[in-house]
Amino acid sequence: MTEIIVVTSGKGGVGKTTTSASMACGLARRGKRVAVIDFDIGLRNLDLIMGCERRVVYDFVNVINGDCTLKQALIKDKRIETLYVLAASQTRDKDALTEEGVRKVLDQLIADGFDYILCDSPAGIEKGAHLAMYFADRAVVVVNPEVSSVRDSDRILGLLSSKTQRSSNGNGGVKEHLLLTRYNPRRVANGEMMSVGDIKEILGLDVIGVVPESPDVLAASNAGVPVILNDDSTAAEAYSDAVARLLGEELPLRFLEEPKRGFFARMFGG
Amino acid sequence: MTTQRAEAAAAPAIDIRFGQMGLIQVLIWTTDPGAILDELTGRVATAPKFFQRTAVALDVGPLGREPSAEEMRGVLEAVRRAGMCPVGLASGPAAAQALSQPLDLPLLPPFREFHPPAEALGRAGARRVEAVPAELEPEGAAAQVHTHPVRSGQRTYARGRDLVVTAMVGAGAEVIADGCVHVYGALRGRAVAGARGDAAARVFCQEFHAELVSIAGVFRVFETLPPELAGQPVQAWLDGDVLRFERLGV
Ligand SMILES: Nc1ncnc2c1ncn2[C@@H]1O[C@H](COP(=O)(O)OP(=O)(O)OP(=O)(O)O)[C@@H](O)[C@H]1O
Ligand SMILES: [Mg+2]
Repeated sequence: MTEIIVVTSGKGGVGKTTTSASMACGLARRGKRVAVIDFDIGLRNLDLIMGCERRVVYDFVNVINGDCTLKQALIKDKRIETLYVLAASQTRDKDALTEEGVRKVLDQLIADGFDYILCDSPAGIEKGAHLAMYFADRAVVVVNPEVSSVRDSDRILGLLSSKTQRSSNGNGGVKEHLLLTRYNPRRVANGEMMSVGDIKEILGLDVIGVVPESPDVLAASNAGVPVILNDDSTAAEAYSDAVARLLGEELPLRFLEEPKRGFFARMFGG
Repeated sequence: MTTQRAEAAAAPAIDIRFGQMGLIQVLIWTTDPGAILDELTGRVATAPKFFQRTAVALDVGPLGREPSAEEMRGVLEAVRRAGMCPVGLASGPAAAQALSQPLDLPLLPPFREFHPPAEALGRAGARRVEAVPAELEPEGAAAQVHTHPVRSGQRTYARGRDLVVTAMVGAGAEVIADGCVHVYGALRGRAVAGARGDAAARVFCQEFHAELVSIAGVFRVFETLPPELAGQPVQAWLDGDVLRFERLGV
């Protein structure tokens, strides 16, 4: 059984691609066969974060247009055996993605026996975002602890429950999860940012993970190594926890409080 | 590529749908543009998201006379400057008939008959903003039940009946009924009861954080909603021309 998971948010720049890359790695590291697809046509990003940008020959749109086979376009990850990336096209033609085309590619991946297909959605609620979510069985809605992001997530949740294949064919709808990223406990404590509790309550959904704001994320994208693979990063641990919860494990949320700073750090403001 | 173009050519250039639900009505008590602009800008400022660029119909009935087209152009200009978009005239008053042509605005029927409350007579400016009722629905219909959250940008309308929502209503979402609105969850969006003018309609919710509550066209936006009721189970009803709120179950 293949499960299609869309990583979406409405608002831009909240951490969808970071999350797609890390969760794909996390699932693959547990032995699952995973394909992660960049739906952000025109703005290729996922391949950079996955560190395979120089190996992109064919992309998603090439497969849809029949310029190549799916097998030729899937980029096998160098680190994890069972992980594959399908890069976005850099075409400026926003109509390059069609519902039929996307269905065809997903059907082939399903026939190939992938366990998970992760769809990294573009921002907004336009066509690309619509197609990224349309065939999903589950959704990871990425949200930052601020009002505009929460509002956009509510919007996206509305679309997930009305504008997807599962919502219209009575298959029980898309299973929805919230993932909070760029969580900064100090700013939450100061009242500058919303807390996990507030967001859970406003959106009426459970939280599958809380990823702290961390400089490791930027370092990871620059290095082309998804942050979950960084062995001593709290962001990595948070993503690993989220993957475990996605697979049904029950774990308490971590990193909701500011780490206690050591004596020297406090003395020297480090 | 060529097939895509063929598709584009076959697609219709327009689609026509019916539905004037929720059109807002501005009752004109004076044709003094200054007075109207003053009062409207105050109202638009209290609910900028709700009123900016909102389509409105003007009702000249409360004037009690036939204004000249020239006077009305001043009114229209004031309403536009306040940020609303006038799209028509309420067809009730005879005066509207005569104005439709020179102002190039359609007549929008049928509006609920308006009975000005005595104490409101003589006041300047737009007194009250009303929802436009559509044609009537047979009575006695069971409530319309909605079991999923109503999310931002979504709108649910129970025509000719009550609306029961057994989940939350998000900020920016709208729940509208010709009868009562019941929300068994948090109400963060807008609730409109008595959308076609039933002044006996009420709004009930389990957790009150509404952006706007309206009953039979009388509304209040969150800035003017009683803050002590935030998060409480609340009901709202219309007492004459005044919208009242009360904690439920005390
Ligand atoms: N937990 C985090 N801590 C610090 N920075 C982060 C974190 N998560 C994401 N970022 C940063 O936020 C920026 C946006 O991240 P990302 O590209 O993953 O977002 P996106 O939602 O995919 O954006 P877009 O909408 O443009 O596709 C990047 O610079 C990334 O490094
Ligand atoms: Mg992205």
